[in-house]
Amino acid sequence: MSDISQQKRPFWTIARKDAAAGYLFIAPQLIGIITFVLIPLGLVFYYSLHEWNVLANTFTFVGDANYQMLLRDPNLPPVLLASAIFSAGLVVVNMSLALLLAVLLDQKLKGIVVFRTLFFSPVVVSLVAWTIVWSFLLQANGGINGILQVFGIEGPNWLRTPTTAMISVVVVQVFKNVGLNMILFLAALQGVPKELYEAARVDGASRFKQFRRITLPMISPTILLTSIITIVGSLQVFAQIAILTKGGPGVSTTVLVYYLYQQAFQFNFFGYGSTLSILLFVIVAVLTFIQWQMRKRIVFYEN
Amino acid sequence: MAPVSLQAVRKVYGDIKVLHGIDVDIADGEFIVLVGPSGCGKSTLLRMIAGLETISAGDIRIGGRVVNELEPKDRDIAMVFQNYALYPHMTVATNMGFSLEHRGASKAEIAERVKWAADILDLSHLLERYPRQLSGGQRQRVAMGRAIVRNPQVFLFDEPLSNLDAKLRVVMRGEIKGLHQRLGVTTVYVTHDQIEAMTMADRIVVMNAGRVEQIGAPLELYDRPANLFVAGFIGSPAMNVLGGTIADSRFNAAGVSLPLPTGIGITGAARYGFRPEHLLLTPDGLPAVVSLVEPMGSETQVTMRLGEHAVVGVFRERVAARPGETIHILPDLNAVHLFDTKSGARIN
Amino acid sequence: MKTDLSPRLRVALYGLMCVLLIPFVFPTWWMVTSSVKPISDIFAFPPDLWPRRFDFSTYSRVFELQPFARQYWNSAYIAALVTAGTMVVSSMAGYAFARIRFPFSNTIFMVVLLGLLIPSEVTIVPLFQMFLRWGMINTHWPLILVPIFGAPSVFATFVMRQFFIALPGELEEAARVDGLGRFKIFWIIALPLAKPALGAVAIFTFLHSWNLYLEPIVFLSSTQMFTLPQALTQFTDAYGGAMWNVQLAAATMTAVPVLIVFIVAQKQFVEGLAHTGLKG
Repeated sequence: MSDISQQKRPFWTIARKDAAAGYLFIAPQLIGIITFVLIPLGLVFYYSLHEWNVLANTFTFVGDANYQMLLRDPNLPPVLLASAIFSAGLVVVNMSLALLLAVLLDQKLKGIVVFRTLFFSPVVVSLVAWTIVWSFLLQANGGINGILQVFGIEGPNWLRTPTTAMISVVVVQVFKNVGLNMILFLAALQGVPKELYEAARVDGASRFKQFRRITLPMISPTILLTSIITIVGSLQVFAQIAILTKGGPGVSTTVLVYYLYQQAFQFNFFGYGSTLSILLFVIVAVLTFIQWQMRKRIVFYEN
Repeated sequence: MAPVSLQAVRKVYGDIKVLHGIDVDIADGEFIVLVGPSGCGKSTLLRMIAGLETISAGDIRIGGRVVNELEPKDRDIAMVFQNYALYPHMTVATNMGFSLEHRGASKAEIAERVKWAADILDLSHLLERYPRQLSGGQRQRVAMGRAIVRNPQVFLFDEPLSNLDAKLRVVMRGEIKGLHQRLGVTTVYVTHDQIEAMTMADRIVVMNAGRVEQIGAPLELYDRPANLFVAGFIGSPAMNVLGGTIADSRFNAAGVSLPLPTGIGITGAARYGFRPEHLLLTPDGLPAVVSLVEPMGSETQVTMRLGEHAVVGVFRERVAARPGETIHILPDLNAVHLFDTKSGARIN
Repeated sequence: MKTDLSPRLRVALYGLMCVLLIPFVFPTWWMVTSSVKPISDIFAFPPDLWPRRFDFSTYSRVFELQPFARQYWNSAYIAALVTAGTMVVSSMAGYAFARIRFPFSNTIFMVVLLGLLIPSEVTIVPLFQMFLRWGMINTHWPLILVPIFGAPSVFATFVMRQFFIALPGELEEAARVDGLGRFKIFWIIALPLAKPALGAVAIFTFLHSWNLYLEPIVFLSSTQMFTLPQALTQFTDAYGGAMWNVQLAAATMTAVPVLIVFIVAQKQFVEGLAHTGLKG
């Protein structure tokens, strides 16, 4: 009996037709990723093995010379340090502020939606516009120092002093984007079953204890995911640096992306720029890998 | 309307065999219930009839035509899903007319068929509502309406009542049965609830671990279960089954000796089964120590120790005994079932 | 945590939130008010929270100094195209990854996810060379093609996949029984139900395109072709000094329309975002 049906089975079975539809559906995305991500990634590596002089229009294989240069580049340690300080500062401030705001917005208060809207509003303000306003505010004679002076405080020249310049770029970026993480945390907080808090209260746990022992573990998947997004995002910050400090003073706020841009597009060192791209890629990949590994240790709960 | 025939139907997921060769012949207009514990493969089998799962081997015929490689839409079947699967973004009327719309029926024809189905199912006043505005029972009826609108050859039901509360389930059970009697369409109905199976089916297919254990009319399964599995699955509370040996026209179990029906020619190890409702209270019966009495009103369920076995009895009489007291019972010898110890197959 | 709060705690919380709001709200306020101050008042001391004199000529100056209307149109149409294109590409890919069984689907999905891991800055050099070879430098093509098909759309695909995974399988099966093929199931059943996720994708994509800065300054060279973020940094006087009030007027025109749309539709905005499947 079954051999009869074997003979009748056509090539385009239901499963095959469906698989073909699947490939058709993903084709635009897959071709796009190959064209605009994978091939360029391969090319970046290829370029990084070459010396590329745009003016003389020469393209010569130099092996690991660019990587040697990377190791000897006196600017690289301070650039990496600046990137690390920027990313670490950004993640810490962003995540804690986002959590604080989310907990505040989770309270039963009238008009809370108005606050939610206002805290979120910088996210939708054009990035460059937002940065320009802050640049304006942070000028030596700008609005912030003006206000400080009203209280008799002599403010620093924020964007021209290494320490305050770094603090400024972090702060500008935090206030711009913290609303995103805030909303994700808020959604996670509201997803914690109320019975857990009720049970904890019956057990006599204080508010703080409830937060430590119930809230944090329950929202840990969200914390992990947002921290990955925030860190990877922090490594891509470009416009803010370009507009606020141009990497200065000195190289104190020259993060890796900005340095890469300078080398490749201002000095036309495409080969060395590509080497820096590879470095950036490796850093992002390693950080992401570490965070996925951490997932097993710190995430208590996953649905 | 059409007969459905399953021949040596198998389903394999990689190395896991889900169905081991199912043979069932469903007559034209018959109401067949596939019943079994969860994981027995009954839903998979139904979905293979629908065309939602591929067939690893064997043949499925609907109206004599092999449908193995036909899309669900070409099999002329309609299905009612466990969670109703109503399109949330469409009104009741659109939901019901949806399949006709995609088969190129005219607007007037669709409207007429939807009206016909809505009248039958008492849905006429709900046609412009959205699924989220309906109660569970109403959604269930819309799901049925969607199935009957097209006048298909076969109805497939996949545990359609499992999301309803107990009372509504009884009501809808009656409605589905009534609908079948009215329309006479061949129906395959999957459930894990043996009461649903008993009350609705023309014939029941009892399945377990990817195999058919027995096919038969409800009372046939109840009266003459083919093996221990069916004996235990059909009937509630479950049949009492005692292990022991047959010798000298008696059945000797641990701590108790039971009478046998006449004409039993075999001896040796066997299993002795009797249903709780086939226990009789009689002064010259066997002594049993009561451990739990559960009055139901119309009857009384008593759990007791017979020898070293715990057995359950259901009595029409009101039993006044308290736990620890002794009552005298005897199984109705016309309703005693004997099974082989090893194979579990029926031997009387 | 949601117990009723005492009145005293309530006041304290409102107070805390109002203080915290300052850095979120004040810059926007300062941008709008300063954009209508004459240049002489712009660094006045003490700072004026409300302009003491109004000078609306800053807004006409914006259009005199730059082809601002043209630049506005550039940003708008690019963002619109990118948003529409991304919704198509990512909803199709997300749907297939979530619901269609085909060989190597998981491997391919992993490959596509690489796009999330690779900052666009990493590939900007070869992309520049590619578009140079294709003669697309100083055109808008790079700003349209890369976001729709490349790395930026991967996030959208991920969001759509998460949504479609949660869609009950029975709905599709019912649709198959009702006679629909894959394309119709996608178009008539799955996509209409995916409106919240699509909304979130649209918002994200629009903002991403609207904010794009590195790519325009790499790919575009003539002011006619500039997009808004790029144009905003061009308002300098003959000596290279910033013309703050004009620049802020341009910034206001860039930011405020989006802000208004957001405030009107804030519920859909915020809730769409919260339900992007990012919750874990």
